[in-house]
Amino acid sequence: MIEAISVTKEYRTEGRIHRAVSNVSFSLGRGEKLALIGRNGAGKSTLIRMLGGVELPTSGRIERTMSVSWPLALQGGFQGSLTGNDNMRFIARIYNKPFDDIKAYVEDFAELGRYLSEPVKIYSIGMRARFAFALSLAIDFDCYLIDEIIAAGDQRFHRRSHEELFEKRADRSLILASHMGEMIKSYCTRAVLMHHGRGSFFDDIDLALQVYNDL
Amino acid sequence: MKRGFREDFATQWRVVGALLIREIYTRFGREGLGFGWILLEPLIFAIPVLLVWSVVRNPYEHGVALMPFLWSGYLPILLFRHVGGRMLLFVRVNAGLLYHRQVTIFDIFLARCLLEVVSNLCAVVASFVLFFSIGWLDLPRDLPMFYLGYFYMIWWSAAVGLIVGGLSERTEWAEKLWSPYSYLYIFFSGFMTLAAWLPDTIRGWALLQPSFQAYEIIRGGMLGSAVKTYGDPAYTSWVLAVLTVIGLLLMRDSRKYVVAE
Repeated sequence: MIEAISVTKEYRTEGRIHRAVSNVSFSLGRGEKLALIGRNGAGKSTLIRMLGGVELPTSGRIERTMSVSWPLALQGGFQGSLTGNDNMRFIARIYNKPFDDIKAYVEDFAELGRYLSEPVKIYSIGMRARFAFALSLAIDFDCYLIDEIIAAGDQRFHRRSHEELFEKRADRSLILASHMGEMIKSYCTRAVLMHHGRGSFFDDIDLALQVYNDL
Repeated sequence: MKRGFREDFATQWRVVGALLIREIYTRFGREGLGFGWILLEPLIFAIPVLLVWSVVRNPYEHGVALMPFLWSGYLPILLFRHVGGRMLLFVRVNAGLLYHRQVTIFDIFLARCLLEVVSNLCAVVASFVLFFSIGWLDLPRDLPMFYLGYFYMIWWSAAVGLIVGGLSERTEWAEKLWSPYSYLYIFFSGFMTLAAWLPDTIRGWALLQPSFQAYEIIRGGMLGSAVKTYGDPAYTSWVLAVLTVIGLLLMRDSRKYVVAE
């Protein structure tokens, strides 16, 4: 289970306090798929970074009783100047997984070919998405935190990601931040709607999307 | 998730090891000399400087052979400046790594610091072998004492690295003051002088500095009974322990000043 308990995050910008996430609570069990819906700037990414432990909440806390991936996002998680292979080596080492297995899986899933020997900073957004997602699947977490990036991949990548998360690993949990209604519906069963840093929990994804569209 | 102490320790070493390798790749690249730079970098710095000094200075100032004096003085300077310099904004430039929860800022510090220390020790050994083989240096007279002095030098550099690294994340002053300080350090650290050569009034003040203490101990080990030295290991250990605690607190605190990518 992963649980957010009254999580609040504040930043100091130009001398004023800006509350990016305000008193959000929810919990997610094994196999549950949760969407974080909200406009740009509503606090989705900040919440995901806190769930992943990249940033610490100003108040409140996050409880994790299953293994949780790092936030798979457009930034972070990799060293841009190192090649895909070297990034894989580093991540295999820190998560204590055999590099050869990881490499075989990523080569198959991400289909990056010779790009794995190129620095990650030259990857396109789609390539980066495939690389990050493949690597986190290879490490094998109980819960995946995905900030938009699945949307960056092509049709084939969507199909294969869906297959991985719903057929081969139906027992895994997912927290997906997105503002794309179709994708949310095909991946998630519950939602937290973020608006100005506040979150409301919905058991019904259609209702959540309807409220979001009426905002 | 709760884990045992042994497991935590194993995880931490694995992470520090992975960071070390990554640090070597990013700094030295994987082509050309690669890892060889770890030794060559400080040597390229140290050897010409030592040669120039040995030409411009009187070879037997204060009745002390110049080369052992310079050699045992300049390599610690390099260590101090490199460790401190590498710690400026070190959390910020590594923010991408903090995406992986098991990587803590202390691991990043440890990996960077270890790499500088190993690099410096390689240069100490290599330059010693070189100068020893051409007869410019003798073996230190009191080897354990020399090691102890160098150990204090490493500890001092690491403690300052923690403080500089922690402060640089919260105020730009740290970064701006580091360059003049690390330059002036050459003159007051104890590199240029022994406490015995100083007037009584200044000696007490100079010996308050851990670097001066460490230099006294290194010189005592290097030159033996040829010189009178004032190193006080008990005092040095205490001051360094206090500085280390301050540095660790600043560093722990710096996590909240860093906004991830």
